[in-house]
Amino acid sequence: MNQATNAPAETALALWHIDRFVVLTALAGLAVLGGLIWLETAPFMVALFALGALLGVALYHGAFGFTAGWRNLVVHKRGAGMRAQLLLFGVTSIIMVPLLALGKDGMVGALAPVGTSLVVGSFIFGVGMQLGGGCGSGTLFSVGAGNLRMVVTLVFFITGAVLGSIHLPWWLDQPGYDPIPLVRSFGVSGAVLLQLAALGLLTLWVNRVERRAHGQVQREEWLWRNRQHGFFRTLISGRWPFVWAIVILALGNVLTLLISGAPWSIVFAFNVWGAKAAQAIGVNMSQFEFWQWSYPAMALHDSVLANTTSVMNFGLLLGAMLAAGLANRFNAASRQAMGKRPLLAAVIGGLLLGYGARLGFGCNIGALFSGIASASLHAWVWFACAFTGSLIGIRLRPWFRLPN
Amino acid sequence: MAKAYHPLRIILALMVILVLILMDHLHSPTFRFNSGQGNVQTTLSQRDQSACAPCGAPCPSARE
Repeated sequence: MNQATNAPAETALALWHIDRFVVLTALAGLAVLGGLIWLETAPFMVALFALGALLGVALYHGAFGFTAGWRNLVVHKRGAGMRAQLLLFGVTSIIMVPLLALGKDGMVGALAPVGTSLVVGSFIFGVGMQLGGGCGSGTLFSVGAGNLRMVVTLVFFITGAVLGSIHLPWWLDQPGYDPIPLVRSFGVSGAVLLQLAALGLLTLWVNRVERRAHGQVQREEWLWRNRQHGFFRTLISGRWPFVWAIVILALGNVLTLLISGAPWSIVFAFNVWGAKAAQAIGVNMSQFEFWQWSYPAMALHDSVLANTTSVMNFGLLLGAMLAAGLANRFNAASRQAMGKRPLLAAVIGGLLLGYGARLGFGCNIGALFSGIASASLHAWVWFACAFTGSLIGIRLRPWFRLPN
Repeated sequence: MAKAYHPLRIILALMVILVLILMDHLHSPTFRFNSGQGNVQTTLSQRDQSACAPCGAPCPSARE
């Protein structure tokens, strides 16, 4: 009787595989790099490193990909991923906009100019998202999870970002306006309400698209539990319901602001890594205007361990690796050999992502997520242009033999 | 399920990244500062409040 009762539980446990090598390697990496950051920088940088790791776990376990979410809406007319993103923006802006309005010394939002550079950059980024197979966060967590095609995308993402940094001053000289914070025109409550209204309208549009295609709306983004597994197993090995990822990503961005003084961003570190690599092979990056500006110049000159964005990215990579190990899916996406055209898509997509992100003042995290959470008009322009670019990228995918 | 990777390659890749990070750090002002050298400007306490974008770009109006 006992044997019969325990059988299903034992079977379930037996099926729960964890990749111990990957998990232990990721934990060792976190310990070594965390220790180094602790020794050489400051405790708040260790906190940011740990936060990056947590965000990596949330992105992987929550399968929180901006790129796939947009594509699912356009191609399959399913809107759960898109609605989850809109929910994330709304929740975070409710917390972050008032926090930024307190005007604490040294705390700045993700504001950026609105102009030619932003429009062109975010549009290019949108095309690159679909060809490269991920956005800023998506590329990073996929690389952490061992996806080889995304490693190619990341390398060219970095290359594109460096090229973008060289050209950005020229683009900034084209027509444009200084940053437009919505709080300045509408006040804190007005800006939050305006953004929530816009996000609500977008949600209604997404629902309409899904309902017209399928007759009903799947409310996956509101599920609190994984239907297949219990709480503990879901927490450790995923897949997390969207809500869990939304809570972690929203709080993670708020904590990043509180600890570092600026919201979460990703791409600036790619610029720094690429510029340092170029310097290592003899290119004098300081000859370019971008790298003469105060903040980039300092970041280029100093250690990557003293750069907030780099430290969080390192954490994110290792966090995603840990999550992939816990899910026993490390490198699972690379089992099939990479064809020439998908490889070409990764190269072109990566270049477009990097160049576009630099011109557009960030990626889906730094410009879109943190931008909306800071109630900056540039984030909304970025959203519209990147989505338009994404439509073109989706149409190009079949030629590159990428599944839609 | 068969492993889709070679463990040694993973260790090697991570070691290469760690060495690159260390090489970069050992040549940085932060390391010199930690080693007791004074009058070194590090990025840890630096923030460009006058910048117009998170990457440190100036405002379009400032370029006219």
